[in-house]
Amino acid sequence: MNPETHIPGWEWYYVAMYFFIGGVSAGAYFIGALAEMFGGERHREISRTGSYIAFPLILLTPPLLIADLGRPERFWHLLVNAKSGFPYINFQSPLSVGSWALLLFGAMTFLSILDTLVADGRLRSAPFARAYSRIPRKWYAVVGSIAGFFVAGYTGVILNVTARPFWAATDPLVGALFIASGASTGAAAIYLVMSWRKKLTDPGLPGFERFDRLSKYIELVLAVGMVVLAGRYAAPLMRGFIGVMFWGGTVLLGILIPLAAGWYIPRAAGGRMPLAGLATVMALLVLLGGALLRISLVQAGQVQ
Amino acid sequence: MPKGMFVDTSICTGCKACQVACKEWNGLPHEPGHFRFDPVEKRPIAVNFTGNSYDNTGALSATDWRHVRFIEQFSEDRSRARWLFSSDSCKHCNDAGCLNACPTGAIVRTDLGNVFIQQDVCIGCKYCIPSCPFGVISLSEGTGTVHKCTLCNDRIHNGLGTACAKVCPTGSISFGDVADLKAAADRRLAHLKRQGHSDAEIYGYKEAGGLNVFYLFLDRPQVYGQPEAVVVPQKRLPVSSAATVAGALALGAAALVSFRERGSGPEEGGEAKK
Repeated sequence: MNPETHIPGWEWYYVAMYFFIGGVSAGAYFIGALAEMFGGERHREISRTGSYIAFPLILLTPPLLIADLGRPERFWHLLVNAKSGFPYINFQSPLSVGSWALLLFGAMTFLSILDTLVADGRLRSAPFARAYSRIPRKWYAVVGSIAGFFVAGYTGVILNVTARPFWAATDPLVGALFIASGASTGAAAIYLVMSWRKKLTDPGLPGFERFDRLSKYIELVLAVGMVVLAGRYAAPLMRGFIGVMFWGGTVLLGILIPLAAGWYIPRAAGGRMPLAGLATVMALLVLLGGALLRISLVQAGQVQ
Repeated sequence: MPKGMFVDTSICTGCKACQVACKEWNGLPHEPGHFRFDPVEKRPIAVNFTGNSYDNTGALSATDWRHVRFIEQFSEDRSRARWLFSSDSCKHCNDAGCLNACPTGAIVRTDLGNVFIQQDVCIGCKYCIPSCPFGVISLSEGTGTVHKCTLCNDRIHNGLGTACAKVCPTGSISFGDVADLKAAADRRLAHLKRQGHSDAEIYGYKEAGGLNVFYLFLDRPQVYGQPEAVVVPQKRLPVSSAATVAGALALGAAALVSFRERGSGPEEGGEAKK
């Protein structure tokens, strides 16, 4: 591997934050969709919360991506070939395919939030409802979940499919790691919103808890596996501030402590207390760990 | 008929005429200085000026499309010394990582085989930069787009050779049809081997699908700052994607066992407590 490969100079506050927020949005969406798909009505509240989270968060991400471009006003070249005027996709470039996946995911989260708003009686009727109301909710939940997994994971493939030593040495695990992190941070976001809306009495919660625990185990195995796989090329992740972010922030605060603290539903309060104590702190730690995972991996590949 | 360059480093004298000719023909400005406060000197010092070698650029960049590398080799007791030079640029790979990675179609290959960045299409996403296994392509702070050697796209499409090859006073850089250059390179290598340069080798016949700009080195490629096992990043895309899909399936399976109807009801509470 060639240490003289150039660094892209992606800013962590744009690119890593996009990786993080996109992951939370996608995770919240596919958790909600899968919960309802596999568990039925029992998990309707989780699915509802997921769709309330996914759309506003994914709306935040295009400005972050566009701000990091050298020529922000040309962002549309990602979708339309500037010379021919036809839609453009490059299947060899995860960045190109990902732009389309992000568009598709945005559309599906938009349909889902409209659907949820109508079901909750917050909207009398959705705009253009006639155009898509015949499509069962499950269909766009399936398409949206697949797009969601893509949005959560392709950002890891972007890093892995480069020639920078750290990113190339961690290939092919970062995509899967980001999906697992998207799941655990998405679950934390769903928990926070449900807690805030005092909906923690939902009968689907035990299943939700099991899924959250499993996703953290998968994330832990992938995070450690990635470091082992990278061997000596993992050096940027083992020292300095990046090491503190990854081992202290992501692994300890974001995975191990929330796992050890057990499930964070405040059962004593019967689930009626909004944003109660320790449970909320744990959910916030999971989100912090997810953000630091993206920042540390984006920065570790850009150490000169 | 792909055009390219053969760089015979064995006859390079390190004069840097190629660097100058490249700047002049392509109208490239000087490299912008990046200053950082130096606590010892108590004043800002330009961190990207080498100052410790005749190598004045240190690397290729958006404004330095040619880089003459100076390699000083001394034996332990300094009784023997060798000074190696190599004039480096974009290799115009046949399997180009930058071109593969470009999400806008800004990077194209022309009919003469050179890899060219269309400045009016590039959006400055910077994904091509880490995708080049050789560290060639770079972002310009001035234009917000990426730049690299074009193989003098304007010159070669008008029957001229590259500016660097034209100006090279020793014939170290030669421009022409890749097939002809390869024949010349093989002859030169055989000659050097006969003279006793057993470490001499051609670099670029198999790397990245074959390099249209290739080199004759007198030592290992690594000595010249070139990677020895070149993997074009996109070669790893299928496995990387498959592993990510496997991760998605694992999470889907976790959702299935967690959310499915079985295990609901009173026993669920018990399960959750353990």
